[in-house]
Amino acid sequence: MTAEITKLTSQDALEHAREILGKFARDLTISDWHLVVECRPDDLPEVALRLRDDEKLSCKYLCCIIGVDFIDWMEALYLLRSQEHSVPVRVRVRLDREKPEVPSVTYIWSGANWHEREAYDFFGIKFLGHPDLKRILTREDYDTHPMKKDAWPHRVRRTEWRWEELERPRRLPGEPDRRERS
Amino acid sequence: MSATEELTGPGQPVLRLEEMILNMGPQHPSTHGVLRLVLHLDGEQVISVEPMLGYLHRGFEKIAENRTYLQYLAMISRLDYLSGFFMEWSYVRSVEALMGLRVPKRAEYIRVIIGELNRIISHHIAYGDFLMNLGASTPFVWAFRDREDVYDLLEMVTGQRMMYNYMRVGGVRWDLPDEFEASCRKFLKEFPPRIDEYEKLVTENEIFLSRTLGMGIIKPYEALDYGISGPNARASGVDWDLRREVGYSVYPEFDFEVPLGQHGDCFDRYKCRIEEMRESTKIIEQALDSLCGGPVNLKLPPMLRPPAGEIYRAVETPRGEYGVYLVSNGGLRPWRLKLRDPTFSAISMIPKLTAGNKIADLVAIAGSLDLIMGGVDR
Repeated sequence: MTAEITKLTSQDALEHAREILGKFARDLTISDWHLVVECRPDDLPEVALRLRDDEKLSCKYLCCIIGVDFIDWMEALYLLRSQEHSVPVRVRVRLDREKPEVPSVTYIWSGANWHEREAYDFFGIKFLGHPDLKRILTREDYDTHPMKKDAWPHRVRRTEWRWEELERPRRLPGEPDRRERS
Repeated sequence: MSATEELTGPGQPVLRLEEMILNMGPQHPSTHGVLRLVLHLDGEQVISVEPMLGYLHRGFEKIAENRTYLQYLAMISRLDYLSGFFMEWSYVRSVEALMGLRVPKRAEYIRVIIGELNRIISHHIAYGDFLMNLGASTPFVWAFRDREDVYDLLEMVTGQRMMYNYMRVGGVRWDLPDEFEASCRKFLKEFPPRIDEYEKLVTENEIFLSRTLGMGIIKPYEALDYGISGPNARASGVDWDLRREVGYSVYPEFDFEVPLGQHGDCFDRYKCRIEEMRESTKIIEQALDSLCGGPVNLKLPPMLRPPAGEIYRAVETPRGEYGVYLVSNGGLRPWRLKLRDPTFSAISMIPKLTAGNKIADLVAIAGSLDLIMGGVDR
């Protein structure tokens, strides 16, 4: 079966994206045949809506949302794809690491719901306006976001056992302590 | 007299009308692993479902940050244990792309052959377990019987039955054994009639049809909206197969069709998988014909240091698009590794698909989506 897909070159996609996104995109590049759009957190819903509803770059499919911790800053990456052409789009949002907050895109792609919960679970990124932002893979009362580079390792190193601190064997009241007697 | 007593009359036992909350799983046989579904029920009718994940969470992504690139290769096939070869493939592909390696041609053919064999056994499970969920046990036994033949082939090549660890960055671990080609051709000759047998047993069965036709319909735009890929999306008519669109490895050389469904119900998803098994046998045959000589892997230093950068590569697994996003800072270990699992998206659609149906239909719908929790919980 031959692919009935109009092949869009990445250069065309780049120019078209520049046209439709305008000032909302801070930076537009092509890396690794992906079209990379960088935008501010506040502009994300506008960028996402324009990418989805545009006829040429119709990014109807949200592949996944990826959080990355670069120690100095944090990033949320949205991998998008279209049925009509073969240039995948990567939307990159740089977040403040102390207070990572970004508007939710759940109302744009329904599948974003769980991906955002996962990013919140692993990185503590707050998705504002998410219908039910709670942990998804780790347990509910986990006190850290484990994929952050400075996450508490959550393992207390076991110190060596010291025999004197061990509890003495229990005995009933009145029963002589056999260890003392011997 | 309370409102509920009015329904049954005074002095009669009170009919309880409030909704009931029931936990299905995490050890339920039809949830394929450890998935817990919290059901809100009105009698037998499902009002809403909330899937609870994380019972199999092993921190794969975090562990990757503390392992070298080759150390991590040993554990990645434990993710989606029924199609472990594709997990290795997606990871290896992203590391190779980051390092800019060209894999020898023979290794690519071997990867395709083993990958498609793995797709067949994974679809065997999808077929057998789906029918088992619907209450038919013969297809399950038949599928497991025929899976053994493929397992013998895979064991001959890789030495393992499930966790292959056969991929290497820049090729595969070792060459095919001499007797492999003959055995594989024998299998390819025997297998298509068996698929006909499966179909004869199930496809036109009236009970099966009444359980699956028009059940759990996914519309094409919903499939895209929820990020569903693979046979689940193709059953809805979403014509997207990474093997054809991206054309990774040597797939562009082969002539195969991408089976599509029309309605996106449970039956179409079942049918798509059956047809994919046929297409896989075609691909293996062509790959065996065009198998060329040469080395099967590249000579690489024992410690890989991919250059700094980021990359996303995906392969078409039996369940859909399995992607690996890799960030390297030029060191020995990945800075960040993200595993994108297709089943994760499929499970997120279960609440939408099952609301308003009966519990028995929930089991059918979950079975038709072919869930494997190992990859979801990571």
